[in-house]
Amino acid sequence: MTNHWIDIQYSDCVLIMGSNAASNHPISFKYVTKAIENGAKLISVDPRFTQTSSKADIYASLRSGTDIAFLGGMINYILENNLIQEKYVKYYTNASFLVNPDFKLPGENEGVFSGLKDATYDKSSWAFQTDLKGVVKKDMTLTDPNCVYQLLKKHYSRYNPDIVSRITGTPKDKLLEVYKEYAKTGAVGKAGTIMYAMGWTQHTVGVQNIRTMSIIQLLLGNMGVAGGGVNALRGESNVQGSTDHALLFHILPGYLKTPSASLPTLAVYNAKNTPTTVEPNSLNWWKNTPKYMASFLRAHYGVSATLEEAYGYLPKLDDGQNYSWLSLFDAMYKEKLTGFFSWGQNPACSGASSNKTRQAITKLDWMVNVNIFDNETGSFWKGPGMDPKKIKTEVFMLPCSASIEKEGSIINSGRWMQWRYKAVDSPGVAMPDGEIISELFYKVRELYEKEGGPLKEAITKMTWDYGPKGVDGTVRHLDVHYIAKEINGYFLEDKEINGTLYKKGSLVPSFAFLQDDGSTSSGNWLYCNSYTEKGNMAARRGKKDESGIGLYPEWAWSWPVNRRIIYNGASVDPETGRPWDTEHPVIIWNGSSWVGDVPDGVAAPGAGRPPFIMKPHGVGSIFGPGLADGPFPEHYEPLECPIEKNILSPQFVNPTIKRWDEEGTGTDVDARATCDPRFPIVCSTYRVSEHWQTGLMTRWCPWLAEMQPSMFVEIGTELAKNKGIKNGEIVTVKSVRGQVDAVAIVTERWKPFTIDGNTIHEIGIPWHYGWVTTKMREYVHGDKKPEVFTFGDSANIVTPFIGDANTMIPESKAFMVNVERKEG
Amino acid sequence: MKKGMIKVSDSFERIVHWCMAISCIILMISGLGMMFHSFNFIAIPVGGLKNLKLIHNFTGLVFIPSLLFAILIWWKEAGIFRFPEDLEWIKVAGGYLWHVDKVPETGKYNPGQKAFFWAVAFFGVVMIVTGLIMWFPLGFPVKLVRWMYTLHALGFFVIFSFFFVHLYLGTVGVPGSVSAILTGWVTRSWAEKQCPKWLKEMEESGKLEVSE
Amino acid sequence: MSEKIKLCDLSKCTGCRGCQLACKQWNQLPAKQTVNYGTYQNPPDLQPNTWNVIRFQEISENGAVDWLFRHDACMHCTDAACVKVCPSGALYHTKYGTVALDSAKCIGCKECVFACPFEVPRYDPETDKVIKCDMCYSRIDNAMQPACVKACPTGALRFGDKKEMLQIAYARAKELGGDASVYGDTFVDGTHMIYVLPRKAAVYDRLPEKPRVPFSVIAWKDWLKPLSLLAAGGVVGGAFLHYIIHGPKDTSGGGDQASREGGE
Repeated sequence: MTNHWIDIQYSDCVLIMGSNAASNHPISFKYVTKAIENGAKLISVDPRFTQTSSKADIYASLRSGTDIAFLGGMINYILENNLIQEKYVKYYTNASFLVNPDFKLPGENEGVFSGLKDATYDKSSWAFQTDLKGVVKKDMTLTDPNCVYQLLKKHYSRYNPDIVSRITGTPKDKLLEVYKEYAKTGAVGKAGTIMYAMGWTQHTVGVQNIRTMSIIQLLLGNMGVAGGGVNALRGESNVQGSTDHALLFHILPGYLKTPSASLPTLAVYNAKNTPTTVEPNSLNWWKNTPKYMASFLRAHYGVSATLEEAYGYLPKLDDGQNYSWLSLFDAMYKEKLTGFFSWGQNPACSGASSNKTRQAITKLDWMVNVNIFDNETGSFWKGPGMDPKKIKTEVFMLPCSASIEKEGSIINSGRWMQWRYKAVDSPGVAMPDGEIISELFYKVRELYEKEGGPLKEAITKMTWDYGPKGVDGTVRHLDVHYIAKEINGYFLEDKEINGTLYKKGSLVPSFAFLQDDGSTSSGNWLYCNSYTEKGNMAARRGKKDESGIGLYPEWAWSWPVNRRIIYNGASVDPETGRPWDTEHPVIIWNGSSWVGDVPDGVAAPGAGRPPFIMKPHGVGSIFGPGLADGPFPEHYEPLECPIEKNILSPQFVNPTIKRWDEEGTGTDVDARATCDPRFPIVCSTYRVSEHWQTGLMTRWCPWLAEMQPSMFVEIGTELAKNKGIKNGEIVTVKSVRGQVDAVAIVTERWKPFTIDGNTIHEIGIPWHYGWVTTKMREYVHGDKKPEVFTFGDSANIVTPFIGDANTMIPESKAFMVNVERKEG
Repeated sequence: MKKGMIKVSDSFERIVHWCMAISCIILMISGLGMMFHSFNFIAIPVGGLKNLKLIHNFTGLVFIPSLLFAILIWWKEAGIFRFPEDLEWIKVAGGYLWHVDKVPETGKYNPGQKAFFWAVAFFGVVMIVTGLIMWFPLGFPVKLVRWMYTLHALGFFVIFSFFFVHLYLGTVGVPGSVSAILTGWVTRSWAEKQCPKWLKEMEESGKLEVSE
Repeated sequence: MSEKIKLCDLSKCTGCRGCQLACKQWNQLPAKQTVNYGTYQNPPDLQPNTWNVIRFQEISENGAVDWLFRHDACMHCTDAACVKVCPSGALYHTKYGTVALDSAKCIGCKECVFACPFEVPRYDPETDKVIKCDMCYSRIDNAMQPACVKACPTGALRFGDKKEMLQIAYARAKELGGDASVYGDTFVDGTHMIYVLPRKAAVYDRLPEKPRVPFSVIAWKDWLKPLSLLAAGGVVGGAFLHYIIHGPKDTSGGGDQASREGGE
């Protein structure tokens, strides 16, 4: 979230799309409800009429996978009716930038942008025009045909309501109703917010879905203001934290890029990954990359290695190599991996195309399942269709502590780092994950020291100062405060900065003090300022709020530098410094400094510094050449869809996605069935309030199992009638990859779509279930035996093995199935 | 036993009567204890209202066969009104309320007793049916069950009232009656007053049992 | 002590069922095995282990669909049929006007189950007792909110003084306009759970439009009960008067007929 949960209440229009927040983020509705009470309009756009829709002023349905068409239509509406917040667009976005005249839009280039070759774009034609000094050429009148604004207008002129309605199946009047209402937030002082979740991300065009909305938010001046922003509702309580700390393969902590084999030294890495700009006034914050990288290396290897040596120890990606989830399981299936740590996850249920995932695990030599309970992954060898005699994989189960059994921090969607305390001891031999990792580290280091190995220093030289040490120099018990402090960072030598002396060993006050000479450490520069000499900021529980807009700056800590609304420099007029919304100002100029939220890069009023400091040019990217699949979002059909061709262009699906279904790319189980009469129904997946993820923490909870006891499928009344399916009976949902049984919920809430004149049905299934239940567990004498169980298997059995072009997140929100009454 | 006493009831009749009487009394007392909070104290000796409920319910199981046998035994003699003599008797209220020179002769049971029979038989069945439904109400329609409580209370109202009339007339109100249902023997004079017509018929048919 | 009201504003309910679960947690009500029978609603109804349940209801009119969620629990009537019929005094009014239950006193007679116009109390065959929501008497008597109210994320459930809650309810109904109304304060002398209904009461599943203490209960408790005592008293008194005025019937054999025949 660029903003935070409490902030939603200050919105004038809340758009919930790609999310069923009322059900899956119930607490968010505390603030949505407040916004409505304050007069805000709530818009729900969803294929299915949900709990969220039931509270909305406007509900519009759309076929899964057509969000770009829907939102592209909104951009078209905004531009056609000139509803942009003009000053904001001119000063705070790249709308005025001139683009290379060679750049071609999909409308004039067979549905793709210029430069496509072998499923990859050569982006040279996407560059901005610059003068001799390298400064980007601009047209502040926004009339030059090569300026971003005019290109945007041209691109989305193709997305007129008639075309959009034919693609999305949304009735035209509903489209216009939504566009009209949301576009009202373009007025100065009005704010609109978007709340989205996996309904937007889990598509082959997932990133571009969000990009489309980002463009709308920039056009309407909704970024950086109270009640605005682009707000991702995280699907997992700490997924924001895990992303910030680099759970993904392509980033290091703090969104530093992963070193690649073609960048052999730190100097080369820094040169490649540190953006430069000659734009006057632009702060270009990423120019600090060398400082953050140096501090990160120090956190890993201390002062015993030089920075260059330490850089040498880091693992490098081969250029073009992709270690995302789908690639890893594909490699596992192809027997390229021998071992696997399944840590705090349940791939057999959570991964797309479960049959492939489950088969992939059978090809391993060993697997370690670290979890609080047994799951479908750990017990895969006795699952449906498996013959234990034929499986070689050796499985180890390491029971670990649940969140309430250990101390630590958790990062919520609003970027708050909140400290939590241990409530109870772990049962049996279960240990906190950190302790397990620590033991593992010492064992691995011992083996490297004894046996050597390639780049053994990567392990043997690693610092491990995570608690008081015993006489043998190893950490006896992991202390999470040591880790939190390392993440914040230390001064490694006495350092004088701006006339103040910082002693060696003291904590760095904030990332502005980090150095590129190796004199500071910081495990994650974004979190520098979270644990300082003043104490553990995340543990703060102050309830003071002088802002009047619910910032509560003394409650926990928010990255970066406790800023609650990022890009808040854009919440004021560039010339006068007056807040756009004087009723809910985020920052106010008091004559000498900004008060309110921690100001985001903004200089004195009228100083001309553009506020989007994380961008080299300092402005919001309406034109975004950084992505793999285009500088503007373009509608492409999902990999599996019900229509024969893309109504908008000759290019059917996203041209830049990595394919596994084509000859020689994937495996025999990676089948695709698009526009196939055997699978004529669109299917989407989602969640229910009562369960979480693959249900591992909720399916065993009797109260929750009682409320949602089994796998179900929601089917519209019309489709059910066609199929002779009665409410409550067991049906089978089949895709080309597998099938899963479910109880039919026949509902009026799911209406058929009219797509380009044809009737298209859509159904939906929750993904929380799995075949393992507590019924099959072995109990020792005296155990309290459970009496309430859930039924059903994972929805991912039917989902496709395909990911987004930028992030590789699987397309679990739009694929093709059939549904039939269960045979026999 | 005195000579010349007349047998008016056999032992089976007396057993049935007392089964019914005792169960009825227990039912009324236990019912009262549950019907009025001010009578909750009735439950104290039996250890609480829950026990009182159990006593009430299981006594009901004794009451059911008692009532059925009672109806079988007495419906012929007490269940059928005979005209015109019963009407005549009713006109003078059997001589109970004002002085009547000559009370019309009745059979073994006079219309007053017949009315009592009907009240007990009809409302007894009502009490059984409603009581059983109240005991096992789950599965019956709510609206039906609601009226069961009301009818049970109505039955109580009727039976409770008749009970006192019966008690009075069976004891002090008509001296000599108690023995009719205790031993089965009454004096000839009692029989002549209470059931002259029956007496005549029995004597004529030679069925009358007289103690020697 | 002032009367308290739990206000349930259905226009703000999202059907998240936090209330349903919080109730089970505070009151330690065990879960029971259920099956999905074609709806999100589960358990299907109020049960001995489920004192409040969210009723999920789909309605469709003129092509527009809506999904209604109703927190169904004890209404805590002032003129409470359950209290009226309870033989043992297990059901009683608290000082807050709510209807609580002293389980130790319950004899499992089920009279309340059938008297309640909202069909709330449930009989538990395992304990042979009836059970229902007591508005978390253990909490409210310690200045806490009922568990369901505490758990509600949206503010659909609120708890407070009667006067204040009624004011909020009427203001909210007015704000919502259309068919919105306040439900609860105008019958059975006022309930202590009141709804703000965005739609007409008749639209909601299992919500009586004009609830009242059933006539059968009034006939039974208000009329027949006193009448039976009166009648019994009347008969006893009448018998006494009969005895002293009219005297017992003479069956001693003093009559002519008797002596004559006796002489035979």
